[in-house]
This record gives sequence, structure tokens and C-alpha cells, in this order.
Amino acid sequence: MRTINEAAFLPTDLPVQTPPEPIIEFKGVSKTYVTGTHALRDVNVTIRRGEFVFVVGASGAGKSTFMKLIMREEKANTGDIIVNRFSLSRMPKKQIPMLRRTMGIVFQDFRLIESMTVFDNVAFAMHVTGAGNREIRKEVSRVLSQVGLGNKARSKPLELSGGEQQRVGLARALVNRPDLIIADEPTGNVDPNMSYEIVALLSEINQRGTTILMVTHDHNLVRDFHHRVIMLEDGQIVADNAEGAVL
Amino acid sequence: MKLRSVKYLTGEGVKSIWANRLMSIASIGVLIACMTLIGLAVLLTSNVNQAMNNLETENVIMVYFNDRNSVLYGDSETLSSALAAANSSGDASGTASTASGSTSSTASTTASSTASTAATTDRYQIPESAYLIHNEDEAKAVCEEIRKLDNIHNVEFISSAQGLQNAKETVSDGGLTTLLDEDNPISHGAKVTLTDLSRFDETVASIRSVKGVDKVYTVRNLAQTITTIKNVVGNAGVWIIAILLIIALVIVSNTIRVTMYNRKLEIGIMKAVGATNAFIRFPFLIEGVTLGLISALLSEGVVYFCYRIAAEGLKSQFGGGMIRFSAMAWQLLGIFAVIGVLAGTVGSLIMISKYLRKEGSEFRAI
Repeated sequence: MRTINEAAFLPTDLPVQTPPEPIIEFKGVSKTYVTGTHALRDVNVTIRRGEFVFVVGASGAGKSTFMKLIMREEKANTGDIIVNRFSLSRMPKKQIPMLRRTMGIVFQDFRLIESMTVFDNVAFAMHVTGAGNREIRKEVSRVLSQVGLGNKARSKPLELSGGEQQRVGLARALVNRPDLIIADEPTGNVDPNMSYEIVALLSEINQRGTTILMVTHDHNLVRDFHHRVIMLEDGQIVADNAEGAVL
Repeated sequence: MKLRSVKYLTGEGVKSIWANRLMSIASIGVLIACMTLIGLAVLLTSNVNQAMNNLETENVIMVYFNDRNSVLYGDSETLSSALAAANSSGDASGTASTASGSTSSTASTTASSTASTAATTDRYQIPESAYLIHNEDEAKAVCEEIRKLDNIHNVEFISSAQGLQNAKETVSDGGLTTLLDEDNPISHGAKVTLTDLSRFDETVASIRSVKGVDKVYTVRNLAQTITTIKNVVGNAGVWIIAILLIIALVIVSNTIRVTMYNRKLEIGIMKAVGATNAFIRFPFLIEGVTLGLISALLSEGVVYFCYRIAAEGLKSQFGGGMIRFSAMAWQLLGIFAVIGVLAGTVGSLIMISKYLRKEGSEFRAI
């Protein structure tokens, strides 16, 4: 069986020796909802290609808003956000699908279509980009093998454990070879052992050059996997262990 | 959108009918119920219209021509004028033309005058110039003139001999009819039927104005009644069908709303992986159209069976005069297909637009 360490996850266009360029930039970003809630206040942060970043903070700290702004589910009131060279404040709505195709999103609740097989759930993300059937068969088989679900292609999501379902979600996020993976509490619905496996899998993917941004409440994971940590509190970044980070 | 995407999405749309079969069955059931009601309303309206059309064509206008008999056996004023003209001219080249246009007598008047004057016909020596139609060919020519008028459905020539024969068949007094044989008092005439009874008065006036026409007998009240019934049934039919259509659209929209609610997670996932709105809409559209077409076909079958049962039940009362289903089958299928596709398309597009306005995070797995 092939493993996740295979070079297939290496972005082909990433120069090996070039200093990493920013993949996500927040420049003076604030977000206030119509209800009057100040979700983010004057956030400035840069995440470079190839980084693995944990985003932590208490409930209501602004983590979800931070992720929604990156995915362009919400729009900032002030400031500018640049993701994968898309300037989100100036981007027309019809460009949103193009932005999302450059990233893979992993959800806490897996978000698999129950009526589809594992294979179809993953293939679905490739159909969206207009990929051909032959390419889809090849890539989906490859990515399912890499997350250890090569023998579950014909299963339905409800026949799988929580950890397996999350790996299907991860395979779906990976299948289009994105530059950026956004994982919104991917370990929230799985047991602790499976949580470690999932983060280990994400770390291996990151080692091959894919940027990972992961929201989590699990301090053990943050402690055991030595990655950059951004801490949000009351809509502001209160801690960032990145080199040269200015708060 | 690429062709292979269209193929994939078409397949997905059709597959999701089975994947969401409970909602599909509910949608099809609702559509069939609405379309069956609409179909039966269409058939009912068509049958009533046909019955009225049959009555229309049976509403015969009798036209009598201005020939020797109409002068001789007309009312006393006509006869006096003709005689005066004959006496003053004294020969066949006289200029009497008084018969034309003074013909307000009724059939009963004609019949009574017939009895009193039949024996004296030859004595009156009516000049040919007193009447306009001299022979059967001229009478047929008048029929042709009538046929050329607007709103004429049919013109059937009745010769004076045929007219007498018809009279004999309806009058039981054998002695009288034998007497009439000696000098036929019936004028040449025609049975005229109209295409549209709502233009009854203007058409009758046109017939009256044709040269050679003497008397026009009509049953105006029947024409008015038929026209009224046709208008009422036509208007009621349009309203019933329109109301049923609106009800169908509302129910189908609500059914699709429930379907969409059940599938909002799916829409959210599509958006999260970068699907365009067109990509998301397409399978729902295919699904809606397919459900509409399936419902149309099934409705055709349901309406056929309902109509067959109704036709059997009403056969004894209407003598099998109902429209045959096969005559309306394609028309009904067309109506059902249009309603089905319209309801499926409009319903799914309207309802999905609500979810497309959202950006994905609103859709959480249950």
C-alpha cells in the first residue's frame, strides 16, 4: 500500500529554495456582525506557504470568524485579506468558487453526503473542477490509499467510524492538490487516539509543502505537535509564536 | 460548463431522484394529483363545449326563397300586391316586384292561406316578374350565395318537392296532403346552420339581405341559451384550470422547499469545494424536470382510467356522445408535460436560489 509520504503531495510549482511567500495575509482586519458583535478587531497576521498553524482560543474568541473570512464565507468590514493571491476585499462574488478550489476544507462534522459512496464523496470535489473520469479514478484511488481507506471506496459514510469519516473528509480536501488546507476542529468529533492520527496525517501532508491552518480546542495536540500557534481572545491575536511576530 | 460536467450532473440529477426517493415520491404524488384534476377539468370543459357545438350545428335556420309559391301562398297583403301588379300589367312582362321584402308572415299563416287558395292558383295568373326565383337552378344559386356569407357552417338545399315530402311526413292529415299534391304550396328553401351562434343576429340579417330570400325562420332563444352556456363553461373552465395550476405550483414549490431543506448540507458541501452556482443548480434542475416528466406520464394514465370509468358511467345518459380519450391524449400529455417541466424547473430554481445566497457555514450536518 502506498503511504502519505509519497511525493504525490508535493506541490509541483513550489520552488525548493525560494523563501516562502505569504499565502494568507490579514491587514488591519475587523469584522462586526449586524447583531453588533465585534468578532475580530484590527487583526494583522501573515501565514507563509508551507507553515502548519494551530489557531486556538476560547469559544467566542473569533476563531470561526477568522476561518470564515479566509474561506470568504464572510466579508471583513475593514482591512484587506489576501489568500492565495486573491484579494478578498475586492474580489467579486463569482470568483469565490475559484478561491475555494485553491484550498481544501476539513470540517468538524465531516460533511459527507450519506447517499454517496466514499469514492463518490471524494470524486465529487474533482467533478466540480471539470476533471475527466480517468483522472478522477486515478487521483481518488491514490488519495484514498494515502489516507488508509483504499479498501473502503465502495462503503457509504455511515458504515465508517468517526475517524474514518474524517479521513474521507481529508481525502476530499486533498484530492485537488490544494496549496492550503483549512481544518475547522477536525478532531472535535473523534476519539483522542484518532485525533493524534489525524493531526499526524496533516503534519505529513504539511511536510510535503502544503500549508495547514487548523482550529482546535485540544491543548494536548497543540503541546505534542510543535507547530506555530496563534491564540485569539476577544477578537484579537493575543499570542503568536511565529518568528518575528509582532503583537 | 464543460460537456463532461453536464453529463456528470445530468447523471447525478437522475440518480438523486432514487437517492431521495421518499421526497421524489411525494413530489410525484402531489404533481399527479394536481395534473389529474387539471386534466379532468380540461376533459369536462371539452365535452361540454362539444355538446354545445353539436347543439349549435343542430340549431337549423330555415330559409325560404322568393318563388311563385311564396307570392301565391304568402300573406294577403303580398297576394293582393301581386294580383294588382298582374292586373295592371296584364302580361308576363309586367313590373310587379312587390313580393320581395314584404314577407313577415309566419309558417302558420302560410299554411292557412295555402288551404284557402290552392284551388284557385291558375286563376290568379301570377306573372313571373312578381317573384325572383323561377326554377330549382336559381334556388341553388341563392344557396351558393348564402354559403359564401361569413359564419355559415352548412347550407342544405330543400327543393319545393322535398319540402312537401317533409311536410307530409310531419302532418298526419292524409286528406290535406293529398289536396296539396295538386298544387305544391311549398317554396324552394334551405336549411342553414351557423358556425358561431354568438353572431346569430348579424348572420341572420346577412341571410335576409341575400337577393331571392323571402322568409327566414329561426329559434333565437335556443341560440342565445347555447351561446350563454358556452361562454359560462368556457370562462369557468379557464378559471378552474388557472386556479388548479396555481395550487399545483404552490404545492410543488413547498414540496421542493422540503427537499431543498433536506439537501442543504449537500449544497453547502458543493459550495465549500468550489462549485459554481450553475454547477449546483444543474442537477436540481434535471431532477425537477425529470420528476415533472415522470409525473406527466403517470398523470396521463391516471386521467385515462378516471375518464374511462366516467365515460362508462355516463354512457347510458349521453348515448356515448363523449369525446374519445384518444382524441385528446396527445393534447393532454402536452399540457401535463408543460405543467410538469414548468413546476419542476420554476420550483427548483426558485427554492434553490434561497440557499445559493448563503455561503456554506450556515449548513451544518445534523
